[in-house]
Amino acid sequence: MIFVLIILYAITLIYFVLSERVAKFIVLLSIQGFLLFFIALNNLIHIQLFGLVLILLETIGVKAIAIPWFLTKIRKTNKLNRVHESAVPVFYSIIIITLLLVSSFLVSNIFHCRTIQIKFLSVALASVFGGIYFIIIHKNIFSHLVGYLIIENGIFLLSLAVGNEMPFMVSLAVLLDVLIGILVIGIFLNKVGDTFSDISVNSLSKLKD
Amino acid sequence: MTILHFLIITIVLSALVLIFRSRKLNALISILYIFAHICLTVFAYRNTNSIDSVYFKFDHISILLNGLISILLIPTYYHSKLYLKRYINNPKKESYYIASMITLFTVISAAYFSEYIVILWVCIEITSLLVAFLIFHDRYQTALEASWKYLFISSVGIAIAFMGILFLAAQIAQQEGASLSFTYLMSVANNMDPFFLKTAFVFMLTGYSIKLNIFPLFAATIDAKTVAPAPVNAIISTILINAGFIAIYRIYSILSMSDSIAWAQNVFLITGLISLLIATVQLFKVKRFKRMFAFSSMEHMALILLAFSVGKAGYYAAILHLVFHTLIKSGLFYQFGQIRALYNSGWFKNTGSYIKLNPTGAMVFIFGLLSITAIPPSGLFISEFLIFKALFAEGYFITAISALLLLTIIIYIFFKNSFQLLYGKVPENFNQQKAIINKYEAISQFVLFALVIYLGFNPPVFFTTLIQSAITILN
Repeated sequence: MIFVLIILYAITLIYFVLSERVAKFIVLLSIQGFLLFFIALNNLIHIQLFGLVLILLETIGVKAIAIPWFLTKIRKTNKLNRVHESAVPVFYSIIIITLLLVSSFLVSNIFHCRTIQIKFLSVALASVFGGIYFIIIHKNIFSHLVGYLIIENGIFLLSLAVGNEMPFMVSLAVLLDVLIGILVIGIFLNKVGDTFSDISVNSLSKLKD
Repeated sequence: MTILHFLIITIVLSALVLIFRSRKLNALISILYIFAHICLTVFAYRNTNSIDSVYFKFDHISILLNGLISILLIPTYYHSKLYLKRYINNPKKESYYIASMITLFTVISAAYFSEYIVILWVCIEITSLLVAFLIFHDRYQTALEASWKYLFISSVGIAIAFMGILFLAAQIAQQEGASLSFTYLMSVANNMDPFFLKTAFVFMLTGYSIKLNIFPLFAATIDAKTVAPAPVNAIISTILINAGFIAIYRIYSILSMSDSIAWAQNVFLITGLISLLIATVQLFKVKRFKRMFAFSSMEHMALILLAFSVGKAGYYAAILHLVFHTLIKSGLFYQFGQIRALYNSGWFKNTGSYIKLNPTGAMVFIFGLLSITAIPPSGLFISEFLIFKALFAEGYFITAISALLLLTIIIYIFFKNSFQLLYGKVPENFNQQKAIINKYEAISQFVLFALVIYLGFNPPVFFTTLIQSAITILN
């Protein structure tokens, strides 16, 4: 079961580079949120009620519902439908993301650490580097926000990879990171949309000497 | 006063500022806050090496750096008041500014004292938000651009640093009594897998580089400093950089307990040299004072990394350099506040004849220029001398000579740009009547620069003891 969920998560990564519609990015993020919940639930066998509530809040509450809702609001405010500005053709992006997945799998298998679960580590690394790649190929700052969330989801998976029971502090930190990142960056993104003619990084180049 | 008390005081004071939005109350609260912060520093000094409020510890390096905040609080408050009077003049915005500043100081102090790696990470994350807000609080276009870039790249950087924490956590996951405290991590460092320890170090160095203003994530910090108001710049270019330093110092202290220390020193060496090279190249292009000072901070942090790369011989010099840089750079930014007020611009081309228009300010600027370029009697001369002495003594000849060459170029650029300000022609659009400079504005800078000379040539025993004790934990 856990492998099916992880494979589904890896497929969402490929779909991210396939898509050009902003609404699809939001749906994919929501799907990732649900997948993360089931992966966490499956993995944290001896979890206590408080921990379960926290993970439920973090994955379904925040990642699958609150963030997509907030992103939809931002999308509507800034009248965003399609993202055309990808610097790399979709075909090459698919090859690159597939290579990222394969290399993450190979790299993870090189690690010999009994405290790290390889099955999570491989897809977590792919998610983090996939998120960075997603940011690099897009000029639209909304897509940068989506890339940031893909990285955050990868980090959540990484926190699962490091042990059967996440330290309470680590769990809270992940939640804080996502909340702060999205709420504040989202607010600033709206401001950018109001102030500049469009939300492309090309508009944000007045600071250079 | 424990940190918990101090946090409660900060929350209450910030809330009062935001609720009442009264200038008189803001002034009173700021003074109360400064007093509370000084009390915290004194309390920490008197309880050295004790655990406080569960998650914090008063160790030597944190006491030293927190003391620097206490010193800078008074001039920062005074220059903030001048800044708000000149450019903002809106009680609502002023209250937001004061509340954000108070919270930023507290969060940075908490970062210094953090005994747990996650608490330190959380504090550093919060500083990103506060800095973004302080840059944007005046709400103009370039400020928004800088805030966005800073916040976004900071968030990505902090996320990368968090991956480093997770790799460390993985190493202690199944140990009995394991915790993410620095003391514990140092005690078990030798039993950790060197590969994961090194990976954690690289991730954290990369992530926190945005705070330390070094390669690779320095760009957003430079942009943030380009638009931040002078008093805010005096903070983010000094004590916030120190927060980045303490994060890297902590992870390095863990590595120093293992066999990976030599590898970490090599990483410092490479990062330091690349940062120094980038700072030098970029300084050729700068056209604004704030950017020049921002790249100067990058240069000094690069030197600190080079000092750390030498090992034991360079630690003392590195921390001494950090302290002096904090005092001098803040003074230069306070002085820049006057330059900005006089010329209504921060571009080199819009300045000139400063020595005639504001002789006292020009004296301060010359004094600051000599200090930041480490020309005697600046205390930075002592620390840089010690850094290069360590580099030569340990056989890093090529590194030392390359760094000296780059520093010579930096000094040339600094003097060339500063001579335009001091002796250039009065700009055509200059309006003498609009330029109002308070005659007391320069005092704080004279005091700070004089303090650097004093600490450099005749350091008090408690000061050297704090530094010596801070480095004894490093191998």
